[in-house]
Amino acid sequence: MATSDSEDFESADEGQNTPIKKDRKERLSSSNYTENSRELDHKTKKTQSSSTDTVKNKEEPKSSDGWDDFDIGDDEILVAQNAVPSNTHVLQSNKNETIDSNYSQDKTTKKSEETKSKDTGWDDFDDWGQDDNTIEDPYKPIQTQPTRQETKSIYPDIQEVTEKLANTTTTSTTGGWGWGWSVDSILTTATAGISTLTNQVSQGISTVLETSIGAPDPEELARQTAKEKEAKANSPDGLESNINTNNDKVDPKSTSDAFPFRGLISEVTKFVETTGTKVISGGLGTLETIGKKTMEVLQDGDPGLAKKRALLGLAPDEKPVLSQILREAKAKADEDDRIREEKKEAKEVHYENLFDDFEGLVHLEALEMLSRQVNMRIEERMRGLSPEKRQDLKETLQQVAELCEMPEDDEDDNDPSEDTFKSEAFHERLQTATQDLGLKLQFQPIVKQYTEAIDWLSSGGELTEKQVYKRAVASLAQATALSVELYHKAGEMLLVKPRRSTADEADALTQMTAVLTKHVSELATLFTEKLNELQTENTEQIHNYITNIFLEAGNSSTYIQNAFQLALPILQIGAV
Amino acid sequence: MTSGPYNYSYIFKYIIIGDMGVGKSCLLHQFTDKKFMADCPHTIGVEFGTRIIEVAGQKIKLQIWDTAGQERFRAVTRSYYRGAAGALMVYDITRRSTYNHLSSWLTDTRNLTNPSTVIFLIGNKSDLDAQRDVTYEEAKQFADENGLMFVEASAKTGQNVEEAFLETAKKIYQSIQDGRLDLNAAESGVQHKPASPGRPLAAPPSSRDNCAC
Repeated sequence: MATSDSEDFESADEGQNTPIKKDRKERLSSSNYTENSRELDHKTKKTQSSSTDTVKNKEEPKSSDGWDDFDIGDDEILVAQNAVPSNTHVLQSNKNETIDSNYSQDKTTKKSEETKSKDTGWDDFDDWGQDDNTIEDPYKPIQTQPTRQETKSIYPDIQEVTEKLANTTTTSTTGGWGWGWSVDSILTTATAGISTLTNQVSQGISTVLETSIGAPDPEELARQTAKEKEAKANSPDGLESNINTNNDKVDPKSTSDAFPFRGLISEVTKFVETTGTKVISGGLGTLETIGKKTMEVLQDGDPGLAKKRALLGLAPDEKPVLSQILREAKAKADEDDRIREEKKEAKEVHYENLFDDFEGLVHLEALEMLSRQVNMRIEERMRGLSPEKRQDLKETLQQVAELCEMPEDDEDDNDPSEDTFKSEAFHERLQTATQDLGLKLQFQPIVKQYTEAIDWLSSGGELTEKQVYKRAVASLAQATALSVELYHKAGEMLLVKPRRSTADEADALTQMTAVLTKHVSELATLFTEKLNELQTENTEQIHNYITNIFLEAGNSSTYIQNAFQLALPILQIGAV
Repeated sequence: MTSGPYNYSYIFKYIIIGDMGVGKSCLLHQFTDKKFMADCPHTIGVEFGTRIIEVAGQKIKLQIWDTAGQERFRAVTRSYYRGAAGALMVYDITRRSTYNHLSSWLTDTRNLTNPSTVIFLIGNKSDLDAQRDVTYEEAKQFADENGLMFVEASAKTGQNVEEAFLETAKKIYQSIQDGRLDLNAAESGVQHKPASPGRPLAAPPSSRDNCAC
C-alpha cells in the first residue's frame, strides 16, 4: 500500500504534465517532479485514470503513518522563533545598515554625504538643508546663561563667513557667468543649514528646560513672544542679529521672573550646562561636516578651486572660456552617467542578486527550515532514550554522516568533447547518480539551462567580453539555484517517502553533489574558454573576468555543498 | 526569470494554504502571471512566486510560498509557516469538505505564525456558482467570527484575486505603520530593504541588541 501510494501520486500528474511544461518553466517553478519520458526507467506504472479525488482518498489513510509525530516539534517552533535564519544574511545586513545609519545624526550625515558626494553631490547638499528645515518655530527663546555664551561665540563666526562668501558670490555672478548660480545656491543652502542648526540647538536646550522644570507660565510666554516679534521686526537683516537679540532679551529674564523656583536653578543650570555642551559638541561635529562638505562641493571636479577662483574673479589673468566650461560640464555629466550605468550593471551582474532572482535563496531558506525541523525531531527522539540507546542512535547518525562525506576528486571520467553531447552526458550522470535515491527528481531545468548556455556560446554571433562575462555569472547563479532546488525537492520527497533506504539515499545524494559541483566548474570553464578566444586588446579586463568567473564557480560549489549538508538530517532521520 | 528592479523597500512573506485541489497554485499563477493554468500539477512541498506591488507609494516584494495541499505533505509544509506576514487560506466553494477543514488550517496557522500575521480567507472557484456548496454568508460569518479578511475569488476569471493579495499587503503595511508589527523580530515575515535612492520613510528603532538569540 505504502509504496504504491507514492507512485500513484506521480502517475496522476503524468498525463497532464507534458502540455504545460513550457508554461511552468517560464515560471521557474519546481512542481513537475513527475515522470517524464527520460526517467521512465524503472518501476511499474499504475494506470493514469486516478482522478484527484481518488488520489486524495488513497492518501488520506496514509496521513497517520509515521508522520503524525512530526507536530511534536510545533511547540518548539515558537520557542525557537528568535533564531534568525542565516541564509537571509544578505537582506539582514541591509537591515542592519539602516539601523546603524539611524544611530546618530552625526554619523548619518557624514556617512551619507560621503557616499553621495561621489556621484551627485550638488543635489544632495540641498536635500540636507531641506531635511532639517522642517523644524518649526526657529526663534524660541534660549533661557540659560552658560549655553548662551557658547552658542553666541560659535555661530556668528561661521555665519559671518558663509554669509560673506554668499555675498561675494552674488556680486560676482552679476558678472554674467552662467555657472554662478550653483555656487551661489550652495552657499545659501549652507547658510540656511547653519541657521536651522542654531535653531535646533537652542530649541533643544529650551525643551530640556521645559521638560525638567515644567512649562513656563503662559502669560510669561506670551510676553516673551511679543518681545521677540518686536525684536524680529527691528532686525530684518539676518539671522545673526535675531539670535543675538533673542539671547539678550531672554537672558536677564531667565534669571529673574522666568524662574520662580530659585532653589532649583543651580541644579537646573548644571544639568543644562552638561546637556548644552553635549548638544553643542554634537552640533559642532555637524558644523565640521558642513564645512568639509562645502569644501568638497566647491572642489568637486575642480581641485585647488582653480575654476571657481577664476569664476569669482580672484585670478583675473586666467579668465576661463565659456565653451571650455560648458565642455567640462558636459564631460562631468557624461562621467556621472557612466558611473550610474556601471552601478546599475554591477547590480545586474551581482551573483547573489541573480541567485535570488532564480529562486535559489528562497529554496535554500525552505530547505534550511525543513532541516532544522527534522533536526529537532531527532534531538527529541534522542532525549527520550536510555543512555545506552542514545549512544546507538548517535552512532547511526554518525554513520550516515560518514556516508555523506565527499570523495576525493576523481578526475577519471573523460568528457565527451562534442558540445552537443555535453548536456546529455550531464543528464545521464545525474540520473546514474540518483538511480538508487528512489525519487523522481526533475533534472530538465538544469539540463536545459546547460544546453542553452552551450548554444549561446556557439551561436557564432559577435560577442563582447562583457556579454560573455554577464552571461557566465548569470549561468552560474542559475545552475546553482537549480541545484539547490534539487536538494530542497529531494528533501521534501524523502520526508514523505514511504520506505526509506538511508544508505542508498546518502550514496545517491553524495554522487549527485559530485556531479553538480563538477557541473558548475565545467560551466565556468566553458565561459572562460570563450573569453580566451575573444580577440581583444583588453587582456587585463579578460583576466579580471576570468578570475571572477572562477571565484563565482567556487561560490556555487559552496552553495551546493551547503545545501547537501542541510539535507543530511533528512537522510539521518530515515535511519532512526 | 524574475529579473527585476531591485529597488523595493519591503519583502513580505506570504503562505498559501488549504486542501488539495482548491486552486492555491492557480491563484498564485493568476496573481503573478495573470493567466489561468487549467491543468495544474500537484504541488510538491512548496513552490514560490514573486511579484512587486506598490502600497502607499512603497514598493513591496511579495515572496509567496505556495504549499502542497496533499495530506501527506502536511508535516513538511508545517515547517514553512514560520515567519509568514500573510497567510492566504483557501477553500473551494463547490466542495464543502474543503470548507469544513478550515478550522484545522486555521489552528495550524495560529499555532505556527505570529499574532500579527494577517490571515485572508479565499473562497475560490466563484465562477462555478451553479455548483456552489458553501454559501457566501456562512463563510463570511466564519471569517468574521475568527477575525479574518474574506473574499470569494476565481483563479479562472481572475475575479478578486488581485484584491486578496493586495488587501493582505495593505493590512500588513498598516500594521507596520501602527507599530503592531515589529520589523526587527525575526519572525515578522517582513524584511525592510531601503531602496537605493532615497531614505526609508520610517526609521526602524535601533533595538537590535535586544534580540534574545
